Amino acid sequence: MNAKANKNQLTSIEPAYYEAVTEAIRKEAVKILKEDTVVGVVGYLPGRRKGTATPALVTSVEEAEKLVFSPACVNNLSVYLTKAKKGVLKQGKVGIVAKGCDMRALAGLMTESQLQREDLFIIGVVCPGVYGFGVERTGTLTEANIARKCRECIVHMPEGADVAAGTHAELADLTPEEAEEMARIEAMPQAERWAFWKEHFSRCIRCMACRQVCPFCYCEQCLCDKNRPQAVESSPRPAGNMAWHLVRAMHLAGRCGGCAECERVCPMDIPLNLLNRRMAKELKELYDYEAGLAPVEKGPLNQYKEDDDQSFIK
Amino acid sequence: MHDFEPKIVAFVCTWCTYAGADLAGTSRMQYPPNVRVLKFPCTGRIDPVFILRAFQKGADGVLVSGCHPGDCHYMAGNFHARRRFAAFRALLDFIGVDLNRLQFSWVSAAEGGKWVEVVTDLTERVRTMGPMPEFKELEHEELWSTFAEATAGKSTGLNITGDRSQVLNTPELKEAYDSIS
Repeated sequence: MNAKANKNQLTSIEPAYYEAVTEAIRKEAVKILKEDTVVGVVGYLPGRRKGTATPALVTSVEEAEKLVFSPACVNNLSVYLTKAKKGVLKQGKVGIVAKGCDMRALAGLMTESQLQREDLFIIGVVCPGVYGFGVERTGTLTEANIARKCRECIVHMPEGADVAAGTHAELADLTPEEAEEMARIEAMPQAERWAFWKEHFSRCIRCMACRQVCPFCYCEQCLCDKNRPQAVESSPRPAGNMAWHLVRAMHLAGRCGGCAECERVCPMDIPLNLLNRRMAKELKELYDYEAGLAPVEKGPLNQYKEDDDQSFIK
Repeated sequence: MHDFEPKIVAFVCTWCTYAGADLAGTSRMQYPPNVRVLKFPCTGRIDPVFILRAFQKGADGVLVSGCHPGDCHYMAGNFHARRRFAAFRALLDFIGVDLNRLQFSWVSAAEGGKWVEVVTDLTERVRTMGPMPEFKELEHEELWSTFAEATAGKSTGLNITGDRSQVLNTPELKEAYDSIS
């Protein structure tokens, strides 16, 4: 966390850095697979198109030698332990490549007893950032193509990983676009805020990608799929959309680590991470809690203090 | 034209506030008949989605009321509810809902007078604010109205035909797209 003090004044992260990280990941993955420490490693393989990467579960040494890390490694892999590859943990210890934001998700899932630390071998990545949406993927990460969430990243160093790949690297002087946008919305008159979100939510097609990609939406049955009684209308109409996004934000309050995967996968470009950020900010102000920095016993909404603020209650 | 009569939905806990409201009734205290009381085992049982649902179904104001801190029949339900509603209020505020329409209170079984006061205050406040249109309008809106506006070229933030750069995020995709169209 002393990143600010010795902050490198970098304006771009060259491909060489990512190659070094790739090398370190491969070495570690091969080692733990050879030693039978783990049954598999969740990481990234090169995508079929140039400049992309795809999440993968590798189980052999040959495959592990193909693992990569690049700014195209945008996915939060922790979802592959709770939902996408649910059975894998039952077979034994699993290795996982984790950026700072993935680490936050893993810590949150450990907090909620969805994962056990001893079941995981975490290959942490010192991640300078990943690509944003709609940018030129040149192989070099610059201020022009870095993702919005990475501009305000506080977890470049993967705290609590078994090994860390890469050295400290961080772009200098990034404008905090997301914080500025949030401040802009907060400063709006109330009716304008409503209009802003109404417009965004009315675009929602309820594809539920935000739910499917979220490491914390692991409920066997989602409240929003229930229809007896129906809490949230399931068709993509404005009323149900508004309810769905409010329920989503509320259910992630105090849990979301800010990986912004929901926003990345949203086909309609709804700024979902702003809602998550707003809730995180509130819980930090009220209860001095930041989600996912380390596994804790209970989240802020699962505990209480007798002298919690109740100025809003009559 | 009738004067506006607000619809108030009150989510109350059965052990304290419901008994408090009962006391107000048996003591023959007068309070506005605008309030619809819904009884729950505990404020900890009241999900924020109930409040949303109430607004969507036509409530102009919502009251959530339960036991004073420390008096919960289930030991800590109201403490948990207090944190949850503090967070929920922040969310509603960020979305642009007027928090004056949402009231939280602690009313014990002995506080019939306080129940009357809370309900009267909220009802009168909402009466001066007028009906709550936001959520009700959403109920009657269809998504295609947005699309109709978008295709008519009005500003909705949705630009399907114009800027493709948001969708085509790699040079290869752009190239592929251009070769089709």
